[in-house]
Amino acid sequence: MVPNEQLICARWIEIGTRVAFACLVATFALYLLGGLEPLVPTSELVRLWTLSAQRYVAATGAPTGWAWLRLVGKGDYLNMLSIMLFVAVATACYARLAVAFVRDGKRAQAYFALLQVLVLLAAASGAFA
Amino acid sequence: MEWWIWPIALFAITFVMGIVAVLAGVGGGVLFVPIMAAFFPFHIDFVRAAGLLLAITTALSAAPALLRSGLASVRLAMPLTLVSSVTSLAGALIGLALPSATLQAALGLAILGIALLMWRSRGAEHPDVPRTDALGAALGMHGVYHDPALARDVAWRVHRTPAGFTVFAGIGVIAGMFGLGAGWANVPALNLLMGVPLKLAVGTSGFLLIGGATSAFWVYLQRGAVLPMLIVPSIIGAILGAKLGVRLLRGAKPALVRRVVLVVLLLAGMRSLLKGFGI
Repeated sequence: MVPNEQLICARWIEIGTRVAFACLVATFALYLLGGLEPLVPTSELVRLWTLSAQRYVAATGAPTGWAWLRLVGKGDYLNMLSIMLFVAVATACYARLAVAFVRDGKRAQAYFALLQVLVLLAAASGAFA
Repeated sequence: MEWWIWPIALFAITFVMGIVAVLAGVGGGVLFVPIMAAFFPFHIDFVRAAGLLLAITTALSAAPALLRSGLASVRLAMPLTLVSSVTSLAGALIGLALPSATLQAALGLAILGIALLMWRSRGAEHPDVPRTDALGAALGMHGVYHDPALARDVAWRVHRTPAGFTVFAGIGVIAGMFGLGAGWANVPALNLLMGVPLKLAVGTSGFLLIGGATSAFWVYLQRGAVLPMLIVPSIIGAILGAKLGVRLLRGAKPALVRRVVLVVLLLAGMRSLLKGFGI
């Protein structure tokens, strides 16, 4: 009775979130234990996180957009990889739904899923920032 | 205060929040943002980005079980998610453009409004939908789910779909602007406006907010508002708390927990409002 696309979507989300959660715990442990030097020293954070994002970026040289990719060797920005996994799970799930809808001949639903993927990709590209 | 106290405190607080959110039937974001913005030193930009990611991760964690049981409907959620995804982008941009004090005061007002909505709205278990509208029918917004408590299948369909789209567009703006997720509004909109049975509305709400919260989160990320030291312990705490909350659900008293949540929201809303006015 449960539509096929829901079962597929559930499986993708389940696997994706488990992997993302495990990565998140691992990368954060590395950060806390000082395994990798962070871009912003942890002792400085208490003073800096009261600033707006704009002023924080100006004060620390923290990356905006996709520039964090260049900093994955830093303890704090390594965590971004795990955070991105969670965000990617959502996008991948909609893409998989679009394929499932097309296969089942549910055109209207397929269009919505596809448009959803496009909106998320456009947002990820920085087109709206 | 030493820096290492903060991740421990964040983990502990979001762990409790995760339990309470499940017992009270609210999303994690609606508790996280007001409490962090009102009582913690983090700038509201970082809090809102963290609130959105918290909403995404907790909704993703709950989604597989709800989708498999049929208590969440992808077919119902998909078109509404798309609308709120687009408008939440606008909400995030508006939120980042506003002065912090204005936003803090507006957040206070929004939280007080949400508390009022939660206090006043009484869900209808199985709303009467005499006939579906043309748009709802065209989008296939109907189906059947199995209700284990009733031990029978429940057929559902929607009405007032155009009004539903309008309301979800507004919900997207508010969710993106304040980083609140949207569970607090999704359930009454689906249930009371569109006539979706309460259980299906609650189950679908989480899946529905994933798209909107994700698109708004990208805007915050692009502006550098993502702070791992705030976000990561909060996510881990909330997810683990929610897992324990599900186990405690059977022996809990949801009405009492909900009253506690309302009091917390009222306090946080008022504190946020005062903070916005520099008091």
